Amino acid sequence: MGMTRKYWKGLEELRETPEFLKSKEQEFPTQMSVEEFLGDENLKETSTARRDFLKFLGFSVAAATVAACEAPVTKAIPYVNKPENVTPGMPTWYASTYYDGVSYASILVKTREGRPIYIKGNKDFGITFGGSNPQIIASVLGLYDSARLQNPTLKGESDSWSNIDGSIKTAIKSAKKIVLVSNTVISPSLGMAIGELGASLGATENPDKFEHIQYDAVSYAGMRLAYEATFGKNIIPTHDFSKAKTIVSVGADFLSSWLMPTQFASQYGMRRNPAGEWMSKHFHFESVMSVSGSNADYRGMIKPSEQANVLSYILKGFGVASGVSSELSKSVIAIADEAIKSLKATKGESIVVCGSNNKAVQILVNKLNNVLGAYSKTLDLNNTINLFKSEDAKMNKFVSNVIAGKGPDAVIFLGVNPVYTLANGKQFGEALGKIGTSVSLASHSDETASLCKFICPDHHALESWSDFNPTVAHYSIAQPTIRPLFNTASALESMLVWAGKVNRGGKDSKVSYDYIMKTWETYGFPAQTKYLDFHTYWNMAIHNSCVEMTVPASEIAMVFNDAALAGLAGQLPKSSGLEVVMYQKAGIGIGLQANNPWLQELPDPLTKVTWDNYITMNPVEMVKAGYVTTYDQEHGLNLAKVKVGNNEVTLPVYPLPGQAENTIGIALGYGRGANGENIGKAAFQTKEYGGNVTLENGNPAPIGANVFSFVQSENGTMSYAASATMTKVEGSYLIAATQIHHTVMGRHSIVRETTLDIFKNNDREAYNPPYMLSKLDKDGNHVKAPMAEFDLWDAHPVEKIGHRWGMTVDLSSCIGCGSCLVACQAENNVPVVGKDEVRRGREMHWLRIDRYFSSDEEAVPGQRKDKETFSYDKAEVAALNPKVVHMPMMCHHCNHAPCETVCPVAATTHSNEGLNQMAYNRCIGTRYCANNCPYKVRRFNWFNYPSYKKFTEVNPAQDDLGRMVLNPDVTVRTRGVMEKCSFCVQRIQAGKLVAKKESRPVVDGDYTTACSDACPTNAIIVGDWNDMKSMVRSSSDDKLAYQALEEVGVKPNVWYKVKVRNEKNDILSKLQVAEKHESHVEKKNHH
Amino acid sequence: MFIYLRNWCFSALTLVFLAGTFTAQAQGDALFKAKCASCHQPHKNGTGPKLFQVRQKWTDGGAKEGSIYQWVNNWQNAAASDPYAQTVSTWAPSAMQAFPELKKEDVDAILDWVDSQPEPGAEGAAGATGAATADPLATEEESSMGWIWIILGIIFFTIVVAVGGVRRQLKFAAADDAGEPINESLTYSEEFKTWAWKYRLYVGLTSLVLVISAIVTLFLSGYSIGVVEEYQPSQPIAFPHAIHTGTNGIDCKYCHNSVTLSKSAGLPTVNVCMNCHKQINGRTPAQQEQIAKLYKSAGWDPAGAGKYTGKSTPIIWNKVHVLPDHVYFNHSQHVVVGGIDCKQCHGDMTKMVETAKVQPVSELNKIEGNIPLTRPTMTMGWCIECHGAKEISTGSIDTRNDGYYNEIHKRLLNNDKTLYGSYLKDGKVTVNELGGWECAKCHY
Repeated sequence: MGMTRKYWKGLEELRETPEFLKSKEQEFPTQMSVEEFLGDENLKETSTARRDFLKFLGFSVAAATVAACEAPVTKAIPYVNKPENVTPGMPTWYASTYYDGVSYASILVKTREGRPIYIKGNKDFGITFGGSNPQIIASVLGLYDSARLQNPTLKGESDSWSNIDGSIKTAIKSAKKIVLVSNTVISPSLGMAIGELGASLGATENPDKFEHIQYDAVSYAGMRLAYEATFGKNIIPTHDFSKAKTIVSVGADFLSSWLMPTQFASQYGMRRNPAGEWMSKHFHFESVMSVSGSNADYRGMIKPSEQANVLSYILKGFGVASGVSSELSKSVIAIADEAIKSLKATKGESIVVCGSNNKAVQILVNKLNNVLGAYSKTLDLNNTINLFKSEDAKMNKFVSNVIAGKGPDAVIFLGVNPVYTLANGKQFGEALGKIGTSVSLASHSDETASLCKFICPDHHALESWSDFNPTVAHYSIAQPTIRPLFNTASALESMLVWAGKVNRGGKDSKVSYDYIMKTWETYGFPAQTKYLDFHTYWNMAIHNSCVEMTVPASEIAMVFNDAALAGLAGQLPKSSGLEVVMYQKAGIGIGLQANNPWLQELPDPLTKVTWDNYITMNPVEMVKAGYVTTYDQEHGLNLAKVKVGNNEVTLPVYPLPGQAENTIGIALGYGRGANGENIGKAAFQTKEYGGNVTLENGNPAPIGANVFSFVQSENGTMSYAASATMTKVEGSYLIAATQIHHTVMGRHSIVRETTLDIFKNNDREAYNPPYMLSKLDKDGNHVKAPMAEFDLWDAHPVEKIGHRWGMTVDLSSCIGCGSCLVACQAENNVPVVGKDEVRRGREMHWLRIDRYFSSDEEAVPGQRKDKETFSYDKAEVAALNPKVVHMPMMCHHCNHAPCETVCPVAATTHSNEGLNQMAYNRCIGTRYCANNCPYKVRRFNWFNYPSYKKFTEVNPAQDDLGRMVLNPDVTVRTRGVMEKCSFCVQRIQAGKLVAKKESRPVVDGDYTTACSDACPTNAIIVGDWNDMKSMVRSSSDDKLAYQALEEVGVKPNVWYKVKVRNEKNDILSKLQVAEKHESHVEKKNHH
Repeated sequence: MFIYLRNWCFSALTLVFLAGTFTAQAQGDALFKAKCASCHQPHKNGTGPKLFQVRQKWTDGGAKEGSIYQWVNNWQNAAASDPYAQTVSTWAPSAMQAFPELKKEDVDAILDWVDSQPEPGAEGAAGATGAATADPLATEEESSMGWIWIILGIIFFTIVVAVGGVRRQLKFAAADDAGEPINESLTYSEEFKTWAWKYRLYVGLTSLVLVISAIVTLFLSGYSIGVVEEYQPSQPIAFPHAIHTGTNGIDCKYCHNSVTLSKSAGLPTVNVCMNCHKQINGRTPAQQEQIAKLYKSAGWDPAGAGKYTGKSTPIIWNKVHVLPDHVYFNHSQHVVVGGIDCKQCHGDMTKMVETAKVQPVSELNKIEGNIPLTRPTMTMGWCIECHGAKEISTGSIDTRNDGYYNEIHKRLLNNDKTLYGSYLKDGKVTVNELGGWECAKCHY
């Protein structure tokens, strides 16, 4: 039993608080009253008598019977002219590209009857290798957002395009100075159109007249400036994590939010296979536990101001004196030494990245990469990244001009929301009124747009043509997948119209298409030789969504300029007592989709909190400072006020193990719509029985608080860490987290972990022993036999008959990003339930990602039960910097499913393809099955989510437009039935049918689940287990494969693969190798 | 005798002549349909102008002798040599195909046949409208029958009450005569109670029977909930399947063309209708009225040479075969993989004069080749009954010679053979045996 260490999901579990012990016995946290179940608070208020209830019940039974007799007339409306590529009932896929100013990915969009309903990464083409993130997958819901502007507006009133264009044209013609503020434009065509607008306004003769400022909410200007200083060019090179045997990240969450995480996660995933050619070794130094940090083999906790010290320390290891202090805590030094050792061993095959936006820190990174020979190996200085070209200095000047009333005569905002994202956004917003002509191209009347005179709403990304140039050698195309829903116009068209080049094309406008095609014909087509005529080239480009060009060779060899290292010490971030880090969460990012309920309800990969913003703090420090560190559905967390400069926010304090001491973290992207801007109902707090929480001024209350105000300019660039003061505030705040739910009844055999070293040098017995039971053999002797040999029941005939659908989840490559969860939600019409319900443990996600913290200090389960040796104090220490395992958990489709045997109405049964089927129409909602499920993956529909008013604000299915995102192949479940992961049975049926129609066996690729589709690291493999050639079969037969809770004997169809860390771990070695060996020796002696 | 002989000869001659005419007519009919009908009609302008008495028209117009035959063979030659033909060649919208293979006799045969076609008028209309009007009459009759029963019921009830009253009065009178005390205060209900108590055995037994039969009836009628046999909603266009697939023999898949591709068979989109209806706008006023609706939807202006106006509106049909949302049914699975004929579920559409309806299972069973079933059409019982009966293969499934099923066959052979043996007990492998009765095959 002692082969693994202790895993715990929350501090409650670690400490075994009385509440936890109580709640772990319960599947459903509280009993629900009849009134609540009926879903009407009026009943509660009027204290309904039992007889009245029976009357209601009787009436509704009668009414339902009568209503059921008459089937409503259903309409069938065929096309007048059917588009050639649409077959009713069949999906049509389009290759496209996603770019929102932050995230970039090549994507595939699934449409049904002309409606886009699902987005996944494109695994065949593009530089992101199928990588995507929760925000990209969820963006399809944003298309059907009824809060989007449906017409252009003038001073808040809808108007016609001709009127508005006329006014804007006249205004900008007469303006002396026009400023266009956009996010980083990586579209060649849009860039040219902006150029044409400038030219039409006389920018060629008088460059001061028209200014284009690129401004990103989260800036990477420091990195670009560092490259300018060290290599003479303002660039960001492309990174290749798939070539790096040693990865050192200093505060860069490159798997979730830093630079191009969609690409990096895929590259990273390629090298996390312990059985592969080699496995990368990942060192991470950070303050707030991030997705990347949680996946690191070694993780050091540092303050943001210590980033330079880490880099300096490693540089010192290579004999380079940078003149920067390398003072660090002992534990960090130990890890840094390990990193130096690894870097030395893999020289030229390593990469060092840093999340700081400070030029001096980035110069140290460049120096280190240069010393390590990373340039031209893992970092390409010729093939550079075009994203994030924020011109912070220009923007700062512009903002201060506007605030001072010296602003330009006209300003155009494109893809930016500076009132929200600027530190002094409030003053900037107030000053906007002084500008004669202000135009926003935002899709919503957001913080900035609502203060502009004109709003000329841009199309949603899925409605418009666009082209992109994310890296020097890569060009891609975004194509529309639906006709524009509203009277909006593409930004590209607006630029050209205002430049006087074209006329508005209306809903079926071809302006953007023609313009982009022209650009590609003029520039792209002549630059290649493969295609002889443009149309073939163009069709190929649209089909693949991208083309790859040759990287232009550099004219002069780029040499590191050592002079850049002079005087760095003075330009570094200042250290202070308490430092606050402004980070980005996987779901919310910088708040572009704050009104997307799928993303708000996505549990954060680390904290598992939904619908909220909070201050992360190390629980050890919290205890010292007197904050509560445990919470449940009735007990909230303490509030605290954090002050940076003159700005302050009040938020709950969340205990996050692994947070560096004297640091706190607050996520960006919250507090959207602080002045009640209409950005969508889901962006605001909701009340217990529906409706938004309102503030004293009548505006809806935003979720969380905006900490962009903490982002101050430091040494010329924006700094995402600051010194802060923190004071406890009276009151507590209820948190909706999925962390403490779905305990596995203290059965810790669910996660298995080992190190690469143990895996390479030992047999399966050491790190992945089968669960053994005793039995009598033929001669009546007691012998051990693996669990697989035991069966309480007759086996379902699933082996060697037809199909058996199976899944393997590789815990080594799962990074916990949450993409699978959102993809599952989109594919299976999983309802959104809102904060109040999540708090009660009634979230509906079919797939959850369990995040286990593990501590080396208390390694053996069972040890803690011994009161003599167990100490809570020691457990506290373990919580300081635990290791993390992310474990996607969905229905295991057990061949001895405990849920099936207890269902009184046979609503859940087993199929001969190994599926645990759920027939909703049979289900009467006894919930016995959920109680009997060892994996706790069954979800009960407590309410009628698509119609009950409690969910109006959060559930997209309650909105005529939002409903369009529903997958027509999957039933929308109603109140009172159980539901759970179906292994995407609709896709199984579709995949089998394709094979049947082609008269061939089902092969890998015919069937994938949404989660496996979405996984950027290919951690989830699905397929036909009975097919001996299938990937899932070989994966499940692997030495690393095990089944969670094997001892329960339910024989699931899901296998996990042991989490392998590329680390040195004495405790684990002792447990898995030494003790095993001893016990073997003991046995031998005994015999 | 002579007269007899003459008559006989005359008759024989007539017969020969008529036979000749008929042969020519039949030939003209066939040729017209093969060569001309895609663009021309006897009495209507279509893609090409109407052909009724076209020879006369050419002669009247001053065309050269025989130029019309030359026109048919190659209109460009005719247009070059004949000024009248030249004017004809300006007729929009598209150039005529050349038919060099048609001889003069053939053209005459065609045009003779065309000239013999009557102008569509009253006599054809009667039949078509008759069918259309039959239905409303029938339903009216049915509903008036209902009223008769209600009125009869009321009369019957009144009589019962009246007779009861008379009986009561008579009873009082009889009691009066007998000198018994009259209990005037006894109400109807009290009297009924007394009566019921007196005959409690019979009343009790009758009540028991009534209650039980009421429960049984309720229970049985409960089974009919959701049974939609004979469901035939009204439709915006009175579409006669019988003419399309019956008379004209159009394949089902021509219009319902996603049946082999998708779960939905697909209703024909208006552009598919217009492939034919650009030419065919109806012989009778009733037909014309219906087809005019189609033109309106397509935005087709049939006047003159005909053209699309661009103003189209979709046709809103009422769905006939409606499955609940929680049922997954895939047409292509059944038609392509299962090889099921449309008739199995939809009945013989070649005889369906009106738009479609849900055919009762009794009708479906009459069709040759259909698997006989007992449960009502479109119910789950009906589906799984068929899944239990329909074979994937007779004999082992590799006899299908299908890559997919060959693989399943191999896997089944790897198992101990009892399972496969049990499948094959009845000599066939049914859908059910490979999992066709499992919930998640159709419900998810």
